[in-house]
Amino acid sequence: MKMLRRAIAALTLTGLVAGVLRIRGKGGVPPERGGWRELTRPRS
Amino acid sequence: MSTASVAVVGLGVVGSRVARQLTSSGIPVLVHDTRADLQNVTARALKATGIIDLADLRPETSPLVVLATPAGQSEMARLLVELGLHVVCTSDDVDDIEIQLALDELARSRGVGVVVGAAASPGLSGLLVAELAMRVDELDEIHVGVHGTGGPACARQHHRALAGVAPGWHDREWINRPGGSGRELLWFPEPIGGRDCYRAELADPITLHRAFPSATRISARMSATRRDRLTARLPMMSPPHAEGGLGGVRVEIRGSKNGARRTEVAGVAERTGIISGAVAAATAAAMLASEKTPVGVSVLGDGRLNNTALLDDVIRRGITVFEYAGSGA
Repeated sequence: MKMLRRAIAALTLTGLVAGVLRIRGKGGVPPERGGWRELTRPRS
Repeated sequence: MSTASVAVVGLGVVGSRVARQLTSSGIPVLVHDTRADLQNVTARALKATGIIDLADLRPETSPLVVLATPAGQSEMARLLVELGLHVVCTSDDVDDIEIQLALDELARSRGVGVVVGAAASPGLSGLLVAELAMRVDELDEIHVGVHGTGGPACARQHHRALAGVAPGWHDREWINRPGGSGRELLWFPEPIGGRDCYRAELADPITLHRAFPSATRISARMSATRRDRLTARLPMMSPPHAEGGLGGVRVEIRGSKNGARRTEVAGVAERTGIISGAVAAATAAAMLASEKTPVGVSVLGDGRLNNTALLDDVIRRGITVFEYAGSGA
């Protein structure tokens, strides 16, 4: 029983750590200059 | 082939749009779907003809088939090639696409053309890269971002992709990375804006490497939320919508022009089903009109295709393409 409780606790802890690792991160930096415009195509 | 008809197989979100686009271009269309009711309704609405058995198709009257069924198109593509028919495939499944690319020898022996991945991503991504590649002397890197899904089958496919193995071409070697890794904030045309994107089991690196073998790095990422990533390895928590909302495709190329480094970015923001429908219809119309359809397997962006004319047609069909300007890159 003690072994089972330890195994469940270990699995839970592993899941929590994996979850935190999976969703952490700060994303990125949005562009500070420029913008979207319609594609210019000299040949068309 | 100009007076011949096109058969559209699969009448979901993409297939119905392909059929509509082709009929609006004055091309006679045959439609087929395993759902008889849907086939009848679509045939009536588009004044198209329903077909019961694909084996009845004849190259003389309907030389071209657009496959718009869910992933698993390769077996049907093989059968159609064996019948001597040109095929346009819209699948974005990596395994499916690899099998379709291997049909090259068979297609050449039958003297027919197979265009693989004629949808949004891959598909439009290849056309955008071909367009941007004309702005550089040397093309080094290609990075694709995709946001949104088409119909329910596409949504399931993307759900699986985030938990799959993401292929990438890195310094002239194939690498496999876990899906859901490699977070990058990618900026799509408005109103999509910035989205966190991750590696996923996407076929773009495979098709783009075939079209642009000189590129040393090719990657593809798809947008996902934190919930998407956490639940990627589980069954979908809720059934997918009949059609996804606004989607987007974004390509970034890096290369050199006159010895200086250049980065060029282009993208679209539109429902994924509409993008895929326009790309597949433009491809089919071009193949039908051409006297010299490339024999064998090709992908969009491939130098054997007239990519400029294809992109022109996609734009004519209502897809607005944007470029990112003024970043100083």
